[in-house]
Amino acid sequence: MTATPAVIDPPKTGRRPAGMESSSWISVLLFLLPALLLLGIFLVYPVISTLRMSLDRGLGGNFTRFVGLDNYIALLNTPSFVGSIVNNVLWMIFYTSFVILFGLLIAVVAMRVRYESTIKAIVFLPMAIAATALAVIWGFVYSTDPHIGVLNALLGVIHAGPISWLGDAGFVNAALIAVGIWGSTGFATVILSAALKGIPTEILEAARTDGANELQIFVRIIVPMVSLPISVLAVTLIVNVIKLFDIPYVMTQGGPGNASRVIAFEMYKQDFSAGQFGKAAAVAVVMLLLLVPVMVFNIRRFRSSSVV
Amino acid sequence: MAKFPRLITLPIAAALILSACGGGATPTPAGSTAASTPPASSEASGGSSAPGSSAVTSGSITVTSLWGGSEQDAFQKVLDAFKAKTGITATYQAQRTDYATVLQSKITSGSPPDVAIMPGLGFLRQFARSGGIKKISDLGIDPASLDANYPPGILDPGKVDGELYGLMVKFNSKSTFWYRPDKFTTAGAKVPASWDDLKAALDTLKSKGSATPLGLGAKDSWTLTDWFEEVYLRQNGADAYKTLFSPTGNWTDATVSKAITTMTEVINDKYVVGGIKGALGVAFTDGIAQAFGATAKADAYYEGGFVGGIATGQVNKDLKIGTTIDWFNFPTFGGAGDTAAEIGGDEIAALTTNPGVKEFIQFMASADAGTTWAKTGAIISPVKAVDPSAYPNDLAKKEAAQVAGASAVVYDGSDTLPAGAPDMGAMLQDAIQGKDVAGLLGTFNTGVTAAWAGEK
Repeated sequence: MTATPAVIDPPKTGRRPAGMESSSWISVLLFLLPALLLLGIFLVYPVISTLRMSLDRGLGGNFTRFVGLDNYIALLNTPSFVGSIVNNVLWMIFYTSFVILFGLLIAVVAMRVRYESTIKAIVFLPMAIAATALAVIWGFVYSTDPHIGVLNALLGVIHAGPISWLGDAGFVNAALIAVGIWGSTGFATVILSAALKGIPTEILEAARTDGANELQIFVRIIVPMVSLPISVLAVTLIVNVIKLFDIPYVMTQGGPGNASRVIAFEMYKQDFSAGQFGKAAAVAVVMLLLLVPVMVFNIRRFRSSSVV
Repeated sequence: MAKFPRLITLPIAAALILSACGGGATPTPAGSTAASTPPASSEASGGSSAPGSSAVTSGSITVTSLWGGSEQDAFQKVLDAFKAKTGITATYQAQRTDYATVLQSKITSGSPPDVAIMPGLGFLRQFARSGGIKKISDLGIDPASLDANYPPGILDPGKVDGELYGLMVKFNSKSTFWYRPDKFTTAGAKVPASWDDLKAALDTLKSKGSATPLGLGAKDSWTLTDWFEEVYLRQNGADAYKTLFSPTGNWTDATVSKAITTMTEVINDKYVVGGIKGALGVAFTDGIAQAFGATAKADAYYEGGFVGGIATGQVNKDLKIGTTIDWFNFPTFGGAGDTAAEIGGDEIAALTTNPGVKEFIQFMASADAGTTWAKTGAIISPVKAVDPSAYPNDLAKKEAAQVAGASAVVYDGSDTLPAGAPDMGAMLQDAIQGKDVAGLLGTFNTGVTAAWAGEK
């Protein structure tokens, strides 16, 4: 197959011999075949198979009893599943926006100092930590015992708390989202920093010459010029949120009660662990459906706007 | 390159693709004939290793369970004894977390371990019905021959649809309420016998300086299911308990909400370290440390018999049995369940019928295995012939005697529920936060009923 690129080079002359039209279609098909095969086996087939599985009882992996939409109806009647979707939405809104906000601020501010690379390295550091380790570390930070938990030790200094960050349904989602933000801000910083470097200095200088202050430059020039990287980043982060599992799994197991369950955790805990593969497949389909608008937006965005 | 004749490219491409496909396809005919041979040869080798008799004297099997650390070391002693007795090597594979999920995926993918020791009867039923585990009789062991080894009722949890699939190999009492004898004495609190005594003792401890006398690790929600089960068992007796955790159980019954209300008489902000919200952020072992750690804030902690080993082995090695750690019977309500005991145990089940599996299951049902294991202090053995003197310390001896002397022994209810049931622990976490108990139980009842119906 290494010869492929050479072979599909269109003839430089642009001359197409008569009668080649039909056979060239066959050759096009033949050359597409390997890619189509791979796509079919690794993408299309699993999706169709999951759809089919989601319509079956699938108890213990035996897909022999077709149940129609029963799995989906059962899901919608499960309060913890509905709750987990709400939590995912919370994550989408707060995690995505704060990661982008902090990432952009750090990238812009860091660009103006000499020790930029040091700052970026520090902010990027959490990205090098596995999410599980990250969750364990933050489990200590949030501990109710002031001898272990930094946050409650700090609250102790001002004679407040201790607050049960992970045991209080009112705090738990905020506490987990904060961990996610801490873990992903470095990623956003690096991406946005690269995008900022791509803004021609002439534009900024022209703006300054015209008398724009730094805030105006940031709002009117920098933000619009990095809007494409921001939207790409947002899509990546939202995809991360929909498949989010590790942080709630390690830190709270979805508790207290079902207060911090997210979709992927719900699928694992309630359905996959119970051998209810049909229902688990139905959750996977719901996750896929949640992703579709994001992907559509992403593709449209790429088609409509020119890359800055 | 452009001069490369186009007409030739097509056959070349086709040839490339065909040869690529052919590369995979050609061996198939040969492979298919070969594939038919291995099962036959493996059967032959299985037979040849034990010609003419069913006794296997060598070979190896794999055993999986969720123990690590000191529990794993203790179990290894049992495996060593098996090797010494039969010559068969049993290799232990630890699966510390997500035990049932991993086991499920191994069964589904067709590469299960030979033997699994599993907690949770929901999974035992599920695997049994899906054919993942073998009947004891499939191994060539007559289930009736095992009855004499065990006290009555111990084999019942291992039965699915009337057939014996699993044998209980170890258990712990769950009717043990752990406390600090030294602190009780100092405060002048009486060791409680009844539920009212317990509340009185907690009040006494509170008035004598312990702001929060009760430890609780409710982040691990199964600690709450044990609390509920004990209260429900004591209030309503073993028969009602068994009914509740069966397909006909009704969670909207008044006895259920009453048991939850009773729980909250002591599981509340008044007695629990850090209050309810605090306790919901505390893990099980950290809850033990609240009562038995070096800087203990609490004086009592309820959980099963395994607390003793964890408290003295991991949490605080300075604990002295009888002085700084001991347990009393879970408090009574003056009803049918006062003399009953709840246990949580693990069932051994065969996932294959490979040579050596039958021998291993038979060994695990014997007094040899039970005594070896009991001597490590890690477990209480259900095997009748295990002498009480085998247990290395007073805590374990007392625990074995408690269960042996109980008027009725019931199995951990939350481990009995179907695997697809809603999370009972999560429901109780909500309940102790003061959410509407009737509403929670209504939803839970719907989910549990559906899960029982969905098991088959």
